Amino acid sequence: MTNAENTGFLYPFIESEETDAKSLLDDLAASARGKAAESARLQRESLAEYDDAVTAAGIQLAERFCRGGRLYTFGNGGSSTDAATLATLFSRPARGRPVAAWSLAADEAVVTALGNDVGFELIFKRQIIAHARDRDVAIALSTSGNSEDLMTAIAEAKRRGLLTVGFSGHDGGRMAVAEDLDFCFTVHSQSIHRIQESHAMLGYRLWSVAQEHMVRSRNGVHAS
Amino acid sequence: MTSIADSQHTFIDDDLSADLAAAALDLARRFHDGATLWVISPQWEPHAHHVAVEFVHPVIMGKRALPSVALVEPDPVAQARVACQPGDLLMAVASATEPAVVDAMRRAPAWGALTLWIGSGPRPPAGAAHHVLWIDSDDPMVPATGRFVLMYHLLWELTHVCFEHPGLLKPAECTDEVCVTCSDEGRLGEVVLEPADVTSLALVRTADGEEWIDVSILGDVSTNDMVLVHAGAAITRVESEVAR
Repeated sequence: MTNAENTGFLYPFIESEETDAKSLLDDLAASARGKAAESARLQRESLAEYDDAVTAAGIQLAERFCRGGRLYTFGNGGSSTDAATLATLFSRPARGRPVAAWSLAADEAVVTALGNDVGFELIFKRQIIAHARDRDVAIALSTSGNSEDLMTAIAEAKRRGLLTVGFSGHDGGRMAVAEDLDFCFTVHSQSIHRIQESHAMLGYRLWSVAQEHMVRSRNGVHAS
Repeated sequence: MTSIADSQHTFIDDDLSADLAAAALDLARRFHDGATLWVISPQWEPHAHHVAVEFVHPVIMGKRALPSVALVEPDPVAQARVACQPGDLLMAVASATEPAVVDAMRRAPAWGALTLWIGSGPRPPAGAAHHVLWIDSDDPMVPATGRFVLMYHLLWELTHVCFEHPGLLKPAECTDEVCVTCSDEGRLGEVVLEPADVTSLALVRTADGEEWIDVSILGDVSTNDMVLVHAGAAITRVESEVAR
């Protein structure tokens, strides 16, 4: 403090710096409300756009789970954590029937071994080769739809008879035109944050449909 | 399930947006002073990882990388205890009843950490954390619908806005002569080293760092016990409903 006072004449702009946080806090709060409204709008729009496709995909997921199928989810960075949240939703849901599901980025020994030995673009594909059976499901999440490590894993999954689902963003990127994807849900936004928030909601809806169908498929309709 | 989607358009109301704004300014101030953000989420580890990657590797190019680490070992309290230094930030993404988080939040003032608590369902008691960012919904599926993600995305975005206002990043000055923060009154401490014998002092950490403290009025004290420190002595034990 004393130091700043002694040298204050060197930094005249310090005197003009804002010291009242009130207006900044008001701006921040307004910004938070605006962004949250946009997030909700995009979620509603994405749910509406993919209503039929998410339902169809969810039913196919349920059929595979009923045949003992497992779910693999994968993505990079924030999307890898969203992939992990989605896997946990399927394997450890707060309600409903748990099914086998895990994130292919979860094991650092496997990820670093593959990244170091065969290359980063193969970290998911090699795990698909190791784990996959034809009744399984692969879900890839990417806000750009262009990640090479996801695309190679999707192609491998398709080759092995898995149901393949992609969550993409922006214009959909390579995922939107990939023949190896049975379903592709592109969230049309330029914001990575807003895309991820809609991915979560679409994933939740996919889980809900699969849950509904799993209780129904053998025993008729269950009250839930 | 539709209720979750429908209710979201009012998700960030006036109160929550004000809470987010205040939390973001505190985050920016602490980061400005060199803080690390530690994140725990015992029930939903991916959320802790998402917060960390958000701050470390920003999605918007040109934004500065900030130190943030997910603490996901089986005992988050032990991990946070050794990680936190005075001035740091401790964030939890958890329900109000998660025992490890309740314990960590209670101890954090002794570690000198500013606390943030994101969650849903019944709220933690008043004062349980410096910033409580809460979704008042009883739906147990909330953590999987993107609402927590939205919350920490907003926190990150607002924090970076604060960096554009350097004049506001200085800590609030403490001028009051009997200010609680500056005086020696009832500071929360956690025992680091028990006294070697009945006449010895115990090493106790408080928000100000470590100091040797007379614990003779308390009798037996053990490592990690919480005590109230006044004028160089521990005057009372702070018991916890979850610790033991």
